[in-house]
Amino acid sequence: MVRSDIIRGHLDSIILRLIFEKDRYGYEISQEIGLRTNNRFQIKEATLYAVFQRLEKKELVEAYFGDITHGGKRKYYKITSLGKAYLNELTKEWHEVKEIIDLFMEDL
Amino acid sequence: MMKKIKNHIEELFKEIPRTQESELVKQEIIQNLEEKVIFLMESGKEEEDAINKAIVEFGDIDELKKELGVKNPDQKKSKLAKLNLAYSLCGSGLLIVLFLFINFYYTPNTIWFVYPTFGLLWWPLSMYFYWQRNK
Repeated sequence: MVRSDIIRGHLDSIILRLIFEKDRYGYEISQEIGLRTNNRFQIKEATLYAVFQRLEKKELVEAYFGDITHGGKRKYYKITSLGKAYLNELTKEWHEVKEIIDLFMEDL
Repeated sequence: MMKKIKNHIEELFKEIPRTQESELVKQEIIQNLEEKVIFLMESGKEEEDAINKAIVEFGDIDELKKELGVKNPDQKKSKLAKLNLAYSLCGSGLLIVLFLFINFYYTPNTIWFVYPTFGLLWWPLSMYFYWQRNK
């Protein structure tokens, strides 16, 4: 399992990307992350909800309540146009970072 | 059965100020954890195991605290500083007007009201910088 502090700075990107694909709710996102990384990285729920709070405050995502399941209402998150633009920026930035780090770490 | 999860989350939220916002996040977390437990049980875990796994994997709440709690006192402070500034402006303004009145009403030939005015202006000035720093 990857050290989580290295990924921490990119959690916004990961979560925005997943919400960009379709509207999702909290548990779905943590499951999806585990699934896609084959459980090599798992997000802690406490962290996940802190990210949601941050993204919502920055108006990058919007929340709405969905259908009732297992007695509670799921809170879904939807990406805003601002969020899409931000994700686009993050993607560009990531490619930059990757190239820079690769300069030092590749072929070692 | 879900009481244990609810209790655990309530416990974690104890230090977070109760606001509508934190209440909503709490509900969301409980709802999602319950779903996780149900999912874990469906994939063959015992109820007790599932609940414990969900609680252990929940992690450290400090980050969430920062998003929900720590920012609020700062905002409050800045609001208070603003109030202090407004109060000092009104207060010193009124006093200056009072000095002006006394000066021109009783001793119209000597202009002395400028001296207390300079002294008084330190009050709103200090409050202004206090407000700027807390912004």
